Amino acid sequence: MLKRIYLAGNPNVGKSLVFSRLTGVQVISSNYPGTTVELVKGWLSLGDEKIEVVDLPGAYSLEPTSKAEEVAVSLLSQYPKDEIVVINVLDSTNLERNLLLTLQLIEKGFPTVVCLNMCDDALHRGVHIDIAGLEKILQCPVVPTCAVTGKGIKALVEKIKISAPAVRAKFSHEELWIEIGHIIENVQRLEHRHHRFRERLEDASVQPLTGFFIAAGVIYAAFKFVRFIGEGIINKITDPVFFDLYRPLLEKFTLHWQEKGFWFHLLIGDLIGGKIDFKQSLGVLTTAPYIEFGMVLPYVVSFYFILSLLEDIGYLPRLAILLDNFLHRLGLHGYAIIPVLLGFGCNVPGILSTRVLESKRERFIASTIISIGVPCLPLQAMIIGLLGSFGGLYVGGVYLVLFSIILILGLILNRLLPGYSPEFLIEIPPYRFPPLGMLARKLFMRIRAFLFEAVPVVLAGVCFINILLYFRLFDFVTGVFAPVVKGIFGLPKEAVVALVIGFFRKDVAVGMLAPLGLSIKQMFIAATLLAISFPCVATFIVLWKELGFKDLVKSVFIMVSVSVIVGGLLNLFMLR
Amino acid sequence: MKKISLIHLKAGHKGKVIDITGGSNLAARLMSMGLYKGKELIKLSHIGLRGPVVIKSGRTILALGHGPAAKIILEVTC
Repeated sequence: MLKRIYLAGNPNVGKSLVFSRLTGVQVISSNYPGTTVELVKGWLSLGDEKIEVVDLPGAYSLEPTSKAEEVAVSLLSQYPKDEIVVINVLDSTNLERNLLLTLQLIEKGFPTVVCLNMCDDALHRGVHIDIAGLEKILQCPVVPTCAVTGKGIKALVEKIKISAPAVRAKFSHEELWIEIGHIIENVQRLEHRHHRFRERLEDASVQPLTGFFIAAGVIYAAFKFVRFIGEGIINKITDPVFFDLYRPLLEKFTLHWQEKGFWFHLLIGDLIGGKIDFKQSLGVLTTAPYIEFGMVLPYVVSFYFILSLLEDIGYLPRLAILLDNFLHRLGLHGYAIIPVLLGFGCNVPGILSTRVLESKRERFIASTIISIGVPCLPLQAMIIGLLGSFGGLYVGGVYLVLFSIILILGLILNRLLPGYSPEFLIEIPPYRFPPLGMLARKLFMRIRAFLFEAVPVVLAGVCFINILLYFRLFDFVTGVFAPVVKGIFGLPKEAVVALVIGFFRKDVAVGMLAPLGLSIKQMFIAATLLAISFPCVATFIVLWKELGFKDLVKSVFIMVSVSVIVGGLLNLFMLR
Repeated sequence: MKKISLIHLKAGHKGKVIDITGGSNLAARLMSMGLYKGKELIKLSHIGLRGPVVIKSGRTILALGHGPAAKIILEVTC
């Protein structure tokens, strides 16, 4: 009786995409090993029945040598074999390496369906596979698919129904590889192709000289494009909508209210020169939507567009190779660049993806560095929006300070923490050029996630702040912390409120600094402090979950110390 | 016949794996990724003095840290 379907396969063969196609559950997939860090489940309708589908972490072998493999193996042995079917997803462009797991699955007696994924890419690269021949040798159904376009998925579902365990003798690894060699000779034919542009580019991007040139170019172009697209959306779409459409409408409906009492304060906020100022009014209907839709959302769109593009092309593992030397000094290895880059979007997925790092020590260093030195996108968008009006130098200054913190903190942590960090051993995927539809879908998923998570919190947050401000309930907190904030950081006591709000939403917190009339130096210090001090509550919870309570306390202690030291130093030494 | 570690192989040259020294976990991991005694590989690049090494074996491209790379002993074939 079939109850469960497991998707098993080597890392980065497109298991998540096959999973999406089978279940309709949307999951993020990228072109590098280790995108799926959380266990995902979905349902497939087969006849009248609904069968659970589980997307297993990538594994090269059933004899585990890494944590992801351990998880995969323990899940596979959880239920009796006659209740499950394993869909073994293979990368057709690299049949040889993938077959080890296939043979092991069959050997262990799992009813297996072999899914030859990326078959169109294989054809493109001159790899021809004899499907019928392979089926005969393996004694289980083999289905060529292309999960990107959805080709072959229907046939795959049909084969699930008829799969049965095959009988195979057990071999050692060496014997298996020898057998795989024979299988490959029989079923695979390689057409000789000259080195094409794609291969040349793949090679050039890991050579010491050309690699660093390409990396510098890619990073520069990525920054430029994120700003270009983000500013474009602001200037061409969101600002006109807010200023020419929304503001006149809002003013028409509300400004004639005779007494400007509680509700006016809550919804519209303070008028600046008799008008609504989206950056300073601080109302639920004014500043709150402007922050989220007018300042942050455009950059969310542009950042995730560029990040998704780099992910799907497969550039990130190559960047990891180039940065390995540098990150080693910080107690990490090159692959840590992936969690860091994701952290620039939102710290939560960044910290979650530190699971690609093997040791606890590395995960602690990476998570701490991300929550201190990597500002999330909403925070960056607000810093660019507010500090940018004083000149790009100040925006650059914040990044410089954060980068120095990462550097110094990493060096110190690497010295002080016991243990060592393992070195990396990663498969580098070929470059792939994703179809635009795929890219659009991924971008849409990420934007939707942002809207669902951020907007309610921001509206509720601004509402809450306004109530507290209206009834002067913050006075107690500001009173207590004012001496610290004033004495060490040189900030007015009203800034305390913003720093506290930073625990809930960083973007709103920066927004709250706007009406305070801070000097540029104070603004710079406050913005930097918001970046390094406490992470927001969502990040905090993830840190707790990933690190455990003891390491969370350690991490928080580091955060508070760094904030006090850096804020104090900036206040002392910054001239203006 | 020259035996050298992967670190000392020049980029662009080929070698045949004759031994993987050190921890058995490394050998097991490399084995499951398709790199084992007797397998041919070509070294694609080496980043910096103590940096990672990139190799290609069959259709698989692997990046190894300096440490693991030092443990792979090769016989130079060309």
